[in-house]
Amino acid sequence: MNHKRIPRIGIGGPVGSGKTMLIEQFVPLLSQKGYKTAIISNDVVSKIDADRMRKNLASERGLLPESLVIGLATGGCPHTAVREDPSMNISVVEEIEAKHNTDLDLIIIESGGDNITTTFSPALADYFIYIIDVSSGDKYPRKRGLGIENCDLLVINKIDIAPYIGADLKVMENDAKVVRKNKPYVFVNCKTGQGVQEVAEHIIKDVLFEEPPKTVINKTA
Amino acid sequence: MNIKNLDLTIDEISMLQLGDSFFPTGMYTTSSGLEALFYNKRIKSKEQISEFISVCLKYQLGPADCTALSNSHKAAQSSDLKTIIEIDDLLFSMKLVKEIREASTRSGTQLLNCVLSFINETPTSENIYNKDNNSSKSVISSYFDAIKSKDAHGVYPIALGLASNVLNITRERACMLLLYGFTVSIVGAALRLGMFPHFEGQQIIHSLKPVILEVIKKNIDRAHSKMWQFSPGIDILQISHERMDSKMFIT
Ligand SMILES: Nc1nc2c(ncn2[C@@H]2O[C@H](COP(=O)(O)OP(=O)(O)OP(=O)(O)O)[C@@H](O)[C@H]2O)c(=O)[nH]1
Ligand SMILES: [Mg+2]
Repeated sequence: MNHKRIPRIGIGGPVGSGKTMLIEQFVPLLSQKGYKTAIISNDVVSKIDADRMRKNLASERGLLPESLVIGLATGGCPHTAVREDPSMNISVVEEIEAKHNTDLDLIIIESGGDNITTTFSPALADYFIYIIDVSSGDKYPRKRGLGIENCDLLVINKIDIAPYIGADLKVMENDAKVVRKNKPYVFVNCKTGQGVQEVAEHIIKDVLFEEPPKTVINKTA
Repeated sequence: MNIKNLDLTIDEISMLQLGDSFFPTGMYTTSSGLEALFYNKRIKSKEQISEFISVCLKYQLGPADCTALSNSHKAAQSSDLKTIIEIDDLLFSMKLVKEIREASTRSGTQLLNCVLSFINETPTSENIYNKDNNSSKSVISSYFDAIKSKDAHGVYPIALGLASNVLNITRERACMLLLYGFTVSIVGAALRLGMFPHFEGQQIIHSLKPVILEVIKKNIDRAHSKMWQFSPGIDILQISHERMDSKMFIT
């Protein structure tokens, strides 16, 4: 059996910053290009997010099988579950890999909402997206934090409400540039999908290395 | 102090390593139904939590998990993979709640994965998935292969038995690790549910030390054919917890 690691994206960010919605937005874009995904959602106190994604993406739109949207409880330790002891997540990923290594292109792991020091264990995720939103003002990303500084892609969400908060996107952009040196960041509105195409492009380029979807490769092989 | 007279061995440090709640097995994600008891308001006092853990130890973990661990540790010493797989299957079938079964096999698999990564036989995608070249493998690697090929489940107590064996941790001590680790994980869950302050947690652990010893004594020499577990009240509770909509813990 040719067992190849399926690329994995970790998505972290503060509670309610839009992790689930971002997934709901970019999975259809990847799906349009033929990429097949699986989603593991680490919820802190419920399985609401997993249930919502299963309904929206799997049951209603058929973009992935219902069984590939999996909710995981983290015992109240969302950061531990993706960083110092990702055992449960890794087990679930390996179970998925064993079943789907010929057709699945990407595994997405949503961390439970947490504080700004979250990072993903490299043993769990190959690519780390950190998502913040403008609702706590424009002081982030200047305040830094491991997630904001070290992630592979910083997503700044909810730009539609910036005027109501008095958050200056220009300030956030300049700070993001300084704090992240040359690493990329994207402004998005997950309600409308604005900017999400760019997130999908980063994933295709930096995670999937522009390889065609596995189902396409296998068909022509 | 004269280093030469130091009465300590590497094996004892290994025991601390496996017994540490920092060791990555994901055990902090389970409460064994305590969360359901908490939300149903059926457990309030420190004494009741202590009683809950004690019942789990005496009627679930002792005669099932502890006996399974002990026998798999023994079987590992004679590289008897067949018996190990038999015990693994037996114990798996005794875990009546799906999410507890799953959590146990996930913890077990990751425990093996981790231990194999530092005892020289580092698993790589080649040697895990390539079944040739099996001859010179240690029993712990063969068991890991059996899990990957779905010929074994990889429940936690068996994994701990094999890991302890390979790290020269005695059977008695391995049983202690199992029961102590369980106790700590439930107390940890209770603390995160805000059931009592941190000192009380340590008081509970302290008060359960004699129970842990007694349970080991009763079950360590039991044959695996005589394994049992009987705590229907807790089973029902764990099943109802599995179905709770809003929860912090897997079970
Ligand atoms: N106005 C506005 N609201 C948004 C946007 N993105 C998400 N939201 C809202 O923000 C709320 C939280 O979004 P989620 O996607 O659930 O956030 P999350 O990070 O997954 O939350 P947790 O997993 O609970 O930490 C929801 O009510 C969304 O409708 C956005 O771009 N603009
Ligand atoms: Mg979410």
